[in-house]
Amino acid sequence: MSNKLDITLQVNGEAQTLRVPPSRTLLDALRGELALAGTKNACNQGVCGACTVLIDGLPMNACLLLAVNVTGRDIISVEGLGEGGELSVMQQAFVDAGAIQCGYCMSGMIVTATALLADNPAPTREEIRAALSGNLCRCSGYVRVVDAVQLAAERLGQ
Amino acid sequence: MSELESAIGKSPPRLEAGEKAGGKALFTGDMVMPGMLHAALLTSPYAHARILSYDTAAALALPGVKAVVTGEDITGGPFGPVVKDEQALALGKVRYIGEPVAAVAAVDEATARLAARLIEIEYEELPAATTVAAAIADGAPLLHEEFADYVKVYQAPENAGNIMARAEAVIGRGVDGFEEADVVVEGTYEVPAQYHAYMEPVAALAAFAPDGRVTVWSSTQSIFRTQANLHEGLGIPMGKIRCIAPRVGGGFGGKAEASGQLVVVMLSRKAGAPVRLVLSRDEDMTTMRARHPGTLRIKTGAKSDGTLVAREMELWFDAGAFADDSPAVMNLALFYARGPYAIPHVRALGHAVYTNKLRLGAFRGFGNPQASYASESQINEIADKLGIDPIDLRIKNAIQAGEQWLGGQRIATSALVEALEAVRDASDWSRPRQARPGCKRGLGISAVAHTSAFLSTGAIARLQGDGSVILNVAAVDIGQGSDTALSQMCAAVLGLDIEQVTFAPPDTDSAPYDYATAASRVTHTVGRAVHEATAAVRDQLLEHGAAMLECPVEDLELRPGGRIGVNTQPPRNAEVTFAEIALRSIWAVGGPITGSGSFMPNDPMDPNHTQMSGFLSLEAVSVLTFGAQVVDAEVDETTGAIRVIEAWCAHDVGRAINPGAVESQIHGGFVQGMGYALCEEMVWEDGRLVNPSFMDYKFPGSMEAPDKIHTVILETPEPSHPFGVKGVGEPPLVGAAPAINSAVSAATGLHLKQIPLTPERVLRALVSKS
Amino acid sequence: MEFHQPTSLDAALVLIAADPEAMLLAGGATLVAMMNAELVAPSALVSLRAVPELRTIDVAADGGLRIGAMLSHAALAAEARLDGGNAVVRGAVAQIAHPSVRNIGTLGGAVAHGDPSSDLPAALVAANAVIETAGPAGKREIAAEEFFEDYLTTALQEGEMVSAVLLPAQPEGATGHYEKFARVHGDYATMSVALVLAMTGAECSFVRIALGAAGATPVRVAEAEACLLGSALDADAVAAAGAKLVAASDPVDDVRGSGEYRLMLVPRLLARALTAAQAKSETRS
Repeated sequence: MSNKLDITLQVNGEAQTLRVPPSRTLLDALRGELALAGTKNACNQGVCGACTVLIDGLPMNACLLLAVNVTGRDIISVEGLGEGGELSVMQQAFVDAGAIQCGYCMSGMIVTATALLADNPAPTREEIRAALSGNLCRCSGYVRVVDAVQLAAERLGQ
Repeated sequence: MSELESAIGKSPPRLEAGEKAGGKALFTGDMVMPGMLHAALLTSPYAHARILSYDTAAALALPGVKAVVTGEDITGGPFGPVVKDEQALALGKVRYIGEPVAAVAAVDEATARLAARLIEIEYEELPAATTVAAAIADGAPLLHEEFADYVKVYQAPENAGNIMARAEAVIGRGVDGFEEADVVVEGTYEVPAQYHAYMEPVAALAAFAPDGRVTVWSSTQSIFRTQANLHEGLGIPMGKIRCIAPRVGGGFGGKAEASGQLVVVMLSRKAGAPVRLVLSRDEDMTTMRARHPGTLRIKTGAKSDGTLVAREMELWFDAGAFADDSPAVMNLALFYARGPYAIPHVRALGHAVYTNKLRLGAFRGFGNPQASYASESQINEIADKLGIDPIDLRIKNAIQAGEQWLGGQRIATSALVEALEAVRDASDWSRPRQARPGCKRGLGISAVAHTSAFLSTGAIARLQGDGSVILNVAAVDIGQGSDTALSQMCAAVLGLDIEQVTFAPPDTDSAPYDYATAASRVTHTVGRAVHEATAAVRDQLLEHGAAMLECPVEDLELRPGGRIGVNTQPPRNAEVTFAEIALRSIWAVGGPITGSGSFMPNDPMDPNHTQMSGFLSLEAVSVLTFGAQVVDAEVDETTGAIRVIEAWCAHDVGRAINPGAVESQIHGGFVQGMGYALCEEMVWEDGRLVNPSFMDYKFPGSMEAPDKIHTVILETPEPSHPFGVKGVGEPPLVGAAPAINSAVSAATGLHLKQIPLTPERVLRALVSKS
Repeated sequence: MEFHQPTSLDAALVLIAADPEAMLLAGGATLVAMMNAELVAPSALVSLRAVPELRTIDVAADGGLRIGAMLSHAALAAEARLDGGNAVVRGAVAQIAHPSVRNIGTLGGAVAHGDPSSDLPAALVAANAVIETAGPAGKREIAAEEFFEDYLTTALQEGEMVSAVLLPAQPEGATGHYEKFARVHGDYATMSVALVLAMTGAECSFVRIALGAAGATPVRVAEAEACLLGSALDADAVAAAGAKLVAASDPVDDVRGSGEYRLMLVPRLLARALTAAQAKSETRS
């Protein structure tokens, strides 16, 4: 547990160097060493999706990844979705569609939804629900979350 | 609605939505401070045991460990909202597996957790009573030997062993009323422990300042309950305790009482450094609280024409190891035991029992989901038996405005019939639905009643130098949108845009007391105080305006955007802005413009209507509001699985301040209630929680929740409220399980009496029936 | 804890031979979750992510497939060559957990873990797969049915790892179907039925069935299949097959369902799975 490795992670477009033990999850490294607290820990066992990040464009649970095992991969967290300090289209759509309540699941939701639209620009509501099946929310009942993704799809399509 | 009130009835995005979407919102577990230590808990492996000794030497010797605390470090206590029976850490005994016994503060979480495991505690195991049956049996081990000496806010039964509360309410002739019935149905319903499953696990951070005051940031639904628990539990004067709520990731009742704050204060005090505790999910599930499981025996009598004449309910709630809110939850279950019907003869009897398991406490609905599951399901059974449509039966018996609720409070307004008709029409109730092959399908109905006002609150509104207004309100936004709704109300009183209102983060240093974000009370109850405070600001603004515009106050009018003009004929162009008035008040005349509001609901019981014994005072519970839900559900006859296809939810909110937020509450509440109905159940074996993880405890995801949850927002204004507001936080959850049960009945003919309606339970019932 | 990233299979084998407390890190979906829960504390991790030999899919001359151990569930769920009878494997991986976990978890990781409630073991037994292992003594090929020995226990020996899964060419015209019943989407199965089915006209000419979450290992009963062979998959034949499968099953009681309920589900889900597979074969022919 005590030995640490010097690694470089590509996070939100920037090379970040950090010293972590091999057992450190990417989730803990993002929130700790990299001070990117937007990715949340809500179950630490890959069930709830609150820790979803993009690894080479694919949504993955950061709690199931070891920081030392994702070197050389392109890591995007919720903080890295927008550009120049602005919210991304998806982030803004979640705001405008009234999808956000307590917000704790939303980083993961938004990241997963971003990957969905990159792969499937005009998903049906069923497809959206299937893509988000690993992102649990206790506040919203999911209806407006699906609305938000559709709104983003509409805006991106324009 | 005047132009001024343009802020009301609009659905601006939550004030804090942008920071949440951007991943920038700070929750307690995201906060870091210089020198901050990390805490870890050591919890009890026994359901019931005496603590004989502590040996913390090995833990303290571990490099990186800065402090260890146990029951020996408690400097106050006991505390508790209804029965003062809890301590900051286990003291003298442990009463449930998972009870925190000791805590460590160290330089990182891994070290703290390792150190916690090095603490050696000598226990003497005691016989445990882990179920209600075991706890009330002859010779049952006593959980709280000093129960009689505890401070309580109600009349507790004496010499009743582990029965901490017993309450009874009788209306009319009570059970003698069944003599008038042509038809009587009786049944026993069982309801599970439901876990709140807020997405943000409990977290708390404490830091002492050089002046000796401690500031606590925590994932809480109440900064003032936090302050009170710290004061009582650790003996610290309130003046030395400052409680702040950062962003909170859901609560649903689970964070209204102590959520880690006492432990971090103890550690921070001892370590001389800030200390932060963040619970893992399994720790949250095993140490905090959950919804009361229980058994409800219920009996209803009706005339053959469908008039309900008598109702009896006897319920037993498993309260767990500490009282927490249990007596109140049990009381409220009885409060709703008659349902929203004018049943003349009622007897409702409730018990809450200590058992050696996790404490049970407040959870959205607070006794109503349990009572309504039984009550509404039995109404459907009666309807079935009499051959009367279940919506017609409800309409026929619906309690009306002016009539008295259980306890005797008069109902000011009732939109119950409107709600029932709305969902009947919206769902096209009498149109048969086509089931898929191998399935049965049906529509179900439930009626909902819940209160909107509860306990006290205050608010301060202050005019700032630029003419904007800042609100100092203690109500915590736990995701339901109260920051936004309260700001909208403030804006409406003054004709401001919502951007011109600042909602200050809840802070006991600057806001007056507010009980909690709970009980569907914030928009209604806190809204009243916000209105009062803002109206006081308005009145002072007008006074200044009159002086500056040299005319009587009656000639003035507020104009949108923070201006005051003259409303006379012929029109005068003169106008002053709020900013100008603010500067005048600060620099020239009158002093800073501040308004305050303070409100306590007071709706006394009527002992001539209902004889009540053993209850907490319910005078501060008030303003009933009504709703109804229809659910379209399909039962898979092969597996017993239930699929909720569509739902219609009509709820009277009096006045929708933010209709979008109201809809969101309805969506979320319905799905949470759907989880209660279909798949959520905490399971204990000999006091050990068997499913303390999201892997094993399941609640609805995007594939389970229906896509079509239709919301019907009814607005029958509450006369006592300046905006007519009623609550909506809990009703949508309350209606779901009975509506789903009803749909399953319609589909299969089964009158099921236990939730969750797991596929296994349903399949067994289907097989037994055939 | 040491961390190694070998770039060849041989190098990986040398590392785990040298340290019996070392563990192989495939995707990490199971291993990292177990580390987070402090259920395992390996002395070293040997990451397989940089071993190219484990990432290939090759089509054999007879049409069978050799799938490298490090292929993710998501990749296999999208693999069009898992068709015909081998669609049972595709159907199974597509229902593991949810999309983000499928991007992480791997074929080899799931196979080596050997959880009978997970989706791959039953599907591989139904598909008559062969597990290819690599170890100090070289490569072995073990039939899936023999590979899963007990709950979380496989035929892997000390120092051995799963290197690939071999799927045979299924009978001509066969279809594969994985029927999973769980409490909620993405949960472990309460009961699952994996099957490969071929019909000749209205008659069943080939069937292999394996149950998941029915015992300590996937449950396959040749006599059950015999009840169906030559039949029109009529209710009696299916009931007879179901009864034999029930007799061979010994499912656990847990929060996902009692053992009794799981046994109730066996014949019901079998019927449902056969109907689905038959419908697929009709659309193909």
